[in-house]
This record gives sequence, C-alpha cells and structure tokens, in this order.
Amino acid sequence: MSLRSLKAVLVDLSGTLHVEDAAVPGAQEALTRLRQSPVAVKFVTNTTKECKRTLFERLRRLNFDLQEREIFTSLTAARNLLEQSAVRPLLLVEDSAREDFTGIETSDPNAVVIGLAPDHFNYQTLNKAFRLVLDGAPLIAIHKARYYKRKDGLALGPGPFVAGLEYATDTRATVVGKPEKAFFLEALRDLDCSPEEAVMIGDDARDDVAGAQNAGMLGILVKTGKYRAGDEGKIDPPPHLTCDSFPDAVNHILDHLLGSKQSEN
Amino acid sequence: MSNEGRAPRMRSSVSRMAAASGMEWLKSVKGVILDMCGVLYDSGEGGGQAIPGSIEAVKRLMDSGLTVRFCTNETQSTREQFVQKLRVMGFDISVSHVFSPAPALVRILRERRLRPHLLVHDGLMAEFEGVDTSSPNCVVIGDAAEKFSYQNLNEAFRVLIGQEKPLLFSLGRGRYYKETDGLKLDVGVFMTALEYAGDVQAEVVGKPAADFFGTVLKDMSLQPHEVVMIGDDLVNDVGGAQSCGMKGIQVRTGKYRPSDEQHASVRADAYMDDLAAAAHAILTSSPTTER
Repeated sequence: MSLRSLKAVLVDLSGTLHVEDAAVPGAQEALTRLRQSPVAVKFVTNTTKECKRTLFERLRRLNFDLQEREIFTSLTAARNLLEQSAVRPLLLVEDSAREDFTGIETSDPNAVVIGLAPDHFNYQTLNKAFRLVLDGAPLIAIHKARYYKRKDGLALGPGPFVAGLEYATDTRATVVGKPEKAFFLEALRDLDCSPEEAVMIGDDARDDVAGAQNAGMLGILVKTGKYRAGDEGKIDPPPHLTCDSFPDAVNHILDHLLGSKQSEN
Repeated sequence: MSNEGRAPRMRSSVSRMAAASGMEWLKSVKGVILDMCGVLYDSGEGGGQAIPGSIEAVKRLMDSGLTVRFCTNETQSTREQFVQKLRVMGFDISVSHVFSPAPALVRILRERRLRPHLLVHDGLMAEFEGVDTSSPNCVVIGDAAEKFSYQNLNEAFRVLIGQEKPLLFSLGRGRYYKETDGLKLDVGVFMTALEYAGDVQAEVVGKPAADFFGTVLKDMSLQPHEVVMIGDDLVNDVGGAQSCGMKGIQVRTGKYRPSDEQHASVRADAYMDDLAAAAHAILTSSPTTER
C-alpha cells in the first residue's frame, strides 16, 4: 500500500453515515476519530430537494460532529456554476431546495436548472424550460438519476426529464452532481488539495466510488445503505477498498493512508 | 440569435441552388405524401388555421392526376375528428387517404395480443374502443399534452418497470411542434424520458418508422422513388421518407427553423417556402400532370 499524503476525506451522507433516521452503528465515534487526524472532512451528497440546513439539522440530531459549511451538495455545485457563469436560472427544484439558491437572480431567466420537482414537472413548465433552452439557455441538471425509491414504490428521478429536454433541444445538459468529475473537483476547491490527496467514502459504487476514482481520488465502498452484494465488481477499476461500514473505512484510512499511524484501533 | 441574423442570406442562396440544378428528380414524381400539421395548417386555439395557399395547393395536386396521401403523427384526436376539422378549414380530404399512428398501433396490439396502459390525449381514446386495457402488459404513449404530468408519467413508468420485458410503444417520436402561441413539446420527449427511466427502447408507430411509410406506399401502389414526402419536420418527415427511398421536401412553415438547413445528418432534397411553392415546383416539372 503506497502512502499518500492524504489531505481530505469526502463522506457521503445517506446510506453511509445514516440509513433513513438511524445512524450507522459506530459512525459518530468514527467521525470524531477521523477529525482528530490531520485531514479535512467534507460531506458530499446528491440531493435535489433538501437544502444544506435540512441535511445539517438531521445529522446533528443523530449526534454527528460537523459544520453546515462542510456540506457540499449537488445543489451547491449548481449554485456555484450559476454564479461562475453569471446566468439567471429558471429553477425547476422543489420549494424545499430553494433556500440554497437565496440571492440568485431568477427574473427574466436565461438558464434552466432542473432538479426533481414533481410539482413543477407539468407540460406547461416543461414547455417553458424547453423554449429557453432552444433559444440557447444552458441546461443544468442537478443530477441524472433514473428513479428513486419512495414509500409508495419507485418514482421517476430527474434524469428522465433531463433526457427528454436534451432530446427536444438536441443539446447536452451540464450535470453537476455525482458522479461527474467536476462535482468532486468543486468539492475539493476550497481545501487546497488535489484529487490524488483525497479519498471518497460512499455506498454507491457508481456515483460515489467510480465517480471519485475517475476524478483521481481513491474510493472506498461501504456495504451499508443501497449497497447490494457484488456492487464492487460492477465498476472498473474496482474500489480501492470495500468494507463493512463507515467505521471500518475510517480505520483503514487512519491505519494505511496517513503518513504515520494516528490510531491504535 | 446569430442564426436568425444569417437566415435570409442562407435561405435565398439555397433556393437559387435548388432552382438551378439537382431537381431533375421532380420529373419522375408520381405520388405525393403530405404531412398535415405545419404544412396544411398551424394548430392552435379553436383547431388552428390553414396556411395561406395550402387549400388550393392540395386541390391542384389532387386534380393533377398525382396520387396524393396524407400522413400525420397527429394523436390528439381520432382520424375521423381530425379530418373533419380540416374539412371545416376548407380542405377536401377523405378519411381513407389519411394515415395516422393510432389505427396502425391498434392493429399491432391485436396481432400481438397486448393489453396497453394508455397515456394518450383524451381525444384519442375512442381509437382504442374495444381494446383490452385490464392488467396492462405494455405502455402506449401519444401526444398527451396537458396530461404529461409527473403523476401520469410515473404511472406509465411503474407499469413498464413492473414487466419482465418492458414494452413501450410511442405514437411518433417528434421533438416539438408549433402552435399559434409557440412551440410545444411533442411525444418523442416523453418517450425519451420513459426510455431513459426504464432502460428500454420504444417501438415507434407512425413517422419516421419505415413500416408506417410502407403501409402508405402500398396503398398508393407506387415505388418509393416515385414518391415525394412534403413536411415541416426535417428528421421525421424528410429523413424518415429518405430512409425509405423516397424524396423529401422541407417546407419553411410550421416548426421549420433556419438552422434545419444546416442539420448535421439530414439534408432535404429541396427546401421550399411553403406547400404552394412545393406544389408549383412539382406540377411544373412532372410530365404526368398539368403544365
């Protein structure tokens, strides 16, 4: 095992630190141990409807030690892109996500941001988005998931609507969430850290691990959350490590990825 | 923006080129297939309105001895209601000369004994009378317009994903069409959404499917090279017809956009300002018709 000068650890939230309303056993204590080592920690997630504050409050309720500013989501990535390109978006996101776009000018839109917004995904609003993109407005997708699991069964994710608008306008959306390379690079931007100096821990082989490794980072797959047996074999190259859960991933990092041993565990 | 600015210059130069050379094929035209929406009329409030000159152009083509058929991907109403709407506008068209996707799909459903979940416009439902829709084993989508809600698309998606081999039929695959108040998303967009969601490839019934054009050609008793398709949709009308061996003319009405004339993969055999201009070009070239 080569020793890297590890500077940052990116951690997925749902499925990695917690599953629904329960923390992964030992995860809080493992996070605290990770924080005692000389690495920066960031929490990265694909969400189209939950603002950072909501995510932060959930994690605090579960007794995780973190700051709201350490959370980087696909909504943050979209916001950063909007600011960098100085465009005024038509925001197709749920009201619960709008908080993360506070201060962004949305009048007379010249860009389209598409998240998951069942209330907005009607023919009239999609037509409006379509006409803007056909007139040259950039199409920015929070992420492109096909579907997700809801209490009452499977439900369409944002991906199908993005794919439909791409087809209508013969353009490609800029996807800002995981597993895009740009997402991981943007998450590291304020940490003064190259991808080679970072590791990503997550339960999604494709979005977390393959995405991070494609960006030049190491990826650790945990067998919690949405993990299904054999997932580690579905990506090439395979994960740097596949382990039972977040505490094991932290142990591996402390024991093997830091220049000197930080922990006796 | 810049496209609009370039349009007039590009337009006139293409017309000159078309007039000067490469139009010999017009002489062997024995049949014409006409797209309807965007060629004969613009749809919109109250059913829409005829495009100037198109009523006379249709009459001249039919009176000339050419075999004329109509081919539409219209799926917001039954074929009978649709033809009736055009008759009210002043077009002299009979139902038997109009080919639309729904009747073709109903034949397929019967042959393959399929029970569809229908995501189609209320106005089209009558075409499916007598079709068994209990415990559906496939999904059919048409231009459902306002019915393309998240809820309805999700229902269709769940039927798809619940099948061992998901089967999706799409009545056409158009990207958009023009109504009097602007461009509107067409069925192909929602077909693509469901394809992406369910990881399936839809079977398209209607233009540009070769089977659909084949049915029309058979009814005309003509060979593909003897027939020209006139439409406002470069990919589905012109490209679809060309793939079957026909010629294709794009008219600069309906959903036409100047950028169509620089499309990466489809090039019309001719671009004409409207149906009247296309009919004039055909009728003044073809030996079987008036001079």
